[in-house]
Amino acid sequence: MKQRITILLLVFIIVAAFAVDIAPPYKPTPLKLIIPKGWPQPPKNIYAGNPLTEEGFQLGKKLFYDGRLSKDGNFACASCHQQFAAFASYDHDFSHGFNNTFTTRNAPPLFNLAWSPLLHWDGGINHIEVQPLSPLTAANEMAENIDSVLIKLRKDTAYPKLFRAAFGTNVINSQRMLKALAQFTGSIVSYNSKYDKVQRGEATFTPAEQKGYDFFKAKCSGCHTEPLFTDNSFRNNGMAINSFLKDYGRMKITRNKNDSLKFKVPSLRNVTLTFPYMHDGRFYSIGNAIDHYRTGIITTQPTLDTALKNRIAMGNTEKNNLIYFLYTLADTTLTKSLRYH
Amino acid sequence: MVRLFYFISALVFPAILFSQKKVPAANVKISFVNTVNHVPLVLDSVTYTNAFAENYTVSKFKYYISNLFLVADKKNIAVKESYYLVDEKDTATKSILLTLPVGNYESLSFLLGVDSLKNVSGAQSGALDPTNDMFWTWNTGYVMAKLEGNSPASTVVNNKVEYHIGGFASADNVIKKITLPLNTNINKDTVTEIIIEADINTWWQIPNDILIAANAVCTNPGVLAKKIAANYSKMFSVIKISTPAN
Repeated sequence: MKQRITILLLVFIIVAAFAVDIAPPYKPTPLKLIIPKGWPQPPKNIYAGNPLTEEGFQLGKKLFYDGRLSKDGNFACASCHQQFAAFASYDHDFSHGFNNTFTTRNAPPLFNLAWSPLLHWDGGINHIEVQPLSPLTAANEMAENIDSVLIKLRKDTAYPKLFRAAFGTNVINSQRMLKALAQFTGSIVSYNSKYDKVQRGEATFTPAEQKGYDFFKAKCSGCHTEPLFTDNSFRNNGMAINSFLKDYGRMKITRNKNDSLKFKVPSLRNVTLTFPYMHDGRFYSIGNAIDHYRTGIITTQPTLDTALKNRIAMGNTEKNNLIYFLYTLADTTLTKSLRYH
Repeated sequence: MVRLFYFISALVFPAILFSQKKVPAANVKISFVNTVNHVPLVLDSVTYTNAFAENYTVSKFKYYISNLFLVADKKNIAVKESYYLVDEKDTATKSILLTLPVGNYESLSFLLGVDSLKNVSGAQSGALDPTNDMFWTWNTGYVMAKLEGNSPASTVVNNKVEYHIGGFASADNVIKKITLPLNTNINKDTVTEIIIEADINTWWQIPNDILIAANAVCTNPGVLAKKIAANYSKMFSVIKISTPAN
């Protein structure tokens, strides 16, 4: 009896020692979120419970580009969030989803998310980690269920190793998948446009761009506040309601009638790459979007933003200069970076 | 080799004994019995009747119990990171095992629901894993309690009854703090079982009349959810505390 116990114990020790030998030590490489010079600190630390590491970022990147996160394998996150469009859907008012469906809102670009306390056009999502649950499970987007995604990832030869590298063990669960995705998407920081270079003294605006910038600061920056080019508020900019979608925006979340027709103020960074515009992509050109503010605003809507009640007076030259300025917000360093691809 | 065994034993066993002696602790099992009018719930096959003579069946019944908190000998004992999802379909989820210091226990408190902090802190695991089908993906937050079934009184598709009760932000808050008296001694050498009843028939009335005919569905935070939560906050009672011999 004593001998048998001894043998068992020895076997246990040997197996344990062997297991320790096989598993490489868990030493992820820490990363720091880029906070460009002169920018405010993010309103909260999105990585407070999710230490940012190179391994977590790389896992998140692989997941972001993996079609298996969708029901039929065709719809990766990246299929609607395309890097060359600053991670928006290029040239699509609505994105395509599973089984020939359309989404019901224009896919927003993904960058500087660490500075965005609420996500989605209606602000319904309060943390970057839980955002992917929405497109993953929506019948007109990726149409999957999370358990099924996890089964696919566990069967894969590469993922268990990548999860171990990122989180210490090869356990694949929803929390780790979501944290890894947040490490990737939250790390996408757009801060290398011509505008940024001018701010840093590395470039100069043309006279037209400078005039456009001056006009912008006078008339637009109240909502599209620098340096993020959004104040993250929800506002009604006076568009007719889309009669098909009947989308009342923020009110869907708060059920407060004062929030009727309010949508999140989008960042204007990369705006020339993210057409079409507005929550339903109704304006295909940037000129049309600007014309809305000049002449299109429906001034009788009760929840119209007070800053827009007289529309925005703007001559043709001012409009053209403004467009020149908006082009300086395109960050091709971001759209071409291999780091994100 | 035998010496090695003794050597390890000599190191390990006293350590175990010592750590156990440090805190006199007792094993406590909290069991939930879901009922309708004090009769144990049977899913799908049994038809029940609410106070408004509306018949209904129950196909799904799940709720979160969190932030357990006990008072013993005038001292507060908070059970750290305590999150449980009780699911009628899964027997294992209907018992919570705790190790508590011995003493004279006055009361047990918990939240019916998930505290607001966990609703804004990103992806969670375990009982709070979003794959447990108790998480809203379009308007972040947990469904605190879920009751589904059918009723001939329901006017919605397939006569469904569907209550997904949630909301954590101030005006929509449906998180309920429940306090149940215990008045029992918990001793070291016995397993104390606290049996708590959760009666579904409380959902329809007092203080708010909820008629299936008028409100067969509630899947948003808001006024109706708060009314139903006010009703179901009274569904719990301690029906038995026993110390089965072991």
